Amino acid sequence: MKMDAREVMAALKAHRGDAVVVCSLGTASSQWWNATRCEETLYMTGGMGFAASIALGLALSLPTTQVWALNSDGSLCMNLNCLLTEAGQSPKNFRHFVIDNEVYQTLDKPMPMVNQQGTDYAAIARAAGIANAITIDNVADLKARLPEIVTTPGPHFVVLKVEPMLDYPPVPPYHYEGAEMKYRFARNLEKKLGITVFGPRGY
Amino acid sequence: MDIHELIHSELTKCGVTLAASLPDDWVAPLIRRLAADPAIRHVPVGREAEAIAICTGAFLAGVRSVAIMGTTGLHCCIGEMMSINLRHGIPVLIVCSLRGTPEDHQIYQEQQGRRTIPMLLAYDFPYVMLEKPEDIPRIPDVYNHSRLQKRPYLLFVTRRLLNAGKKP
Repeated sequence: MKMDAREVMAALKAHRGDAVVVCSLGTASSQWWNATRCEETLYMTGGMGFAASIALGLALSLPTTQVWALNSDGSLCMNLNCLLTEAGQSPKNFRHFVIDNEVYQTLDKPMPMVNQQGTDYAAIARAAGIANAITIDNVADLKARLPEIVTTPGPHFVVLKVEPMLDYPPVPPYHYEGAEMKYRFARNLEKKLGITVFGPRGY
Repeated sequence: MDIHELIHSELTKCGVTLAASLPDDWVAPLIRRLAADPAIRHVPVGREAEAIAICTGAFLAGVRSVAIMGTTGLHCCIGEMMSINLRHGIPVLIVCSLRGTPEDHQIYQEQQGRRTIPMLLAYDFPYVMLEKPEDIPRIPDVYNHSRLQKRPYLLFVTRRLLNAGKKP
């Protein structure tokens, strides 16, 4: 059994609270934007594999702020060693979700992931040292487990099995990127958290 | 004062409180010093691009950080430095060994030595060489310059600097 990515995003949105989010490029970014329009989120358009590491850097730097990585299976496979680093640091404020559709979705015609259906990412995470690592494949379970996932100390690693999308948008739906993405995201954090990211001259 | 102690001291003056690293033997003593400093969050990583991304996250949180690696690791993470840092205009200071110079007699560093600087020029990544102890106090200016430049910025630890540090 697998979930619809839209239903997954709706469930995650209902439990985000004040969490800051970093989305990997592709399904995670486009569907989280469509569900939330949230600007306390960094939407990646490059750096495939490293949304989780950027989120980890945020979590370590903002220990009283909840930080989510909204990753994908393709991106995770480009940086599997992030799981060792997350385990080594064990930030209590960190949750790592993986949208696992078993394909490279952003191609004109999706192609299968490496070792499609043959890899248990939650088992890899547990073996790396993240004890709270699970796989969820239906929305009822997701809704039932999210309250505990977002309130108990992290790190948590959650694989979310979804169907590939047949109507995946050919271009990312969010309408800003690059330096504007940096400024909008970090300016929102400055306002929300009372931190200083940019100096008085804007850099 | 020890070369690595001097670099550590200057990074502290810059306000650095997070260091993400993957060692080679030239920068390992600096990493050990930073890891032992309770004022610095040390994040050992399994691949150099992780260090770049973690420092990127720290920047977005308003925390000053440094990535530390060897020359081979620098070559390995050039793509992420382009697609994350150049793309968004996010600075990251990288303390890196400059391997493959005439003073470096390791055969496995020779290829990197011939291509490191041309690679940085191709990507327009600024760099500063630390060649003698008197260069080390430049680090706070270099750090501020990296913020102005809004891109990856290399601070190279050279064999000449390390040799100078060994002299009585």
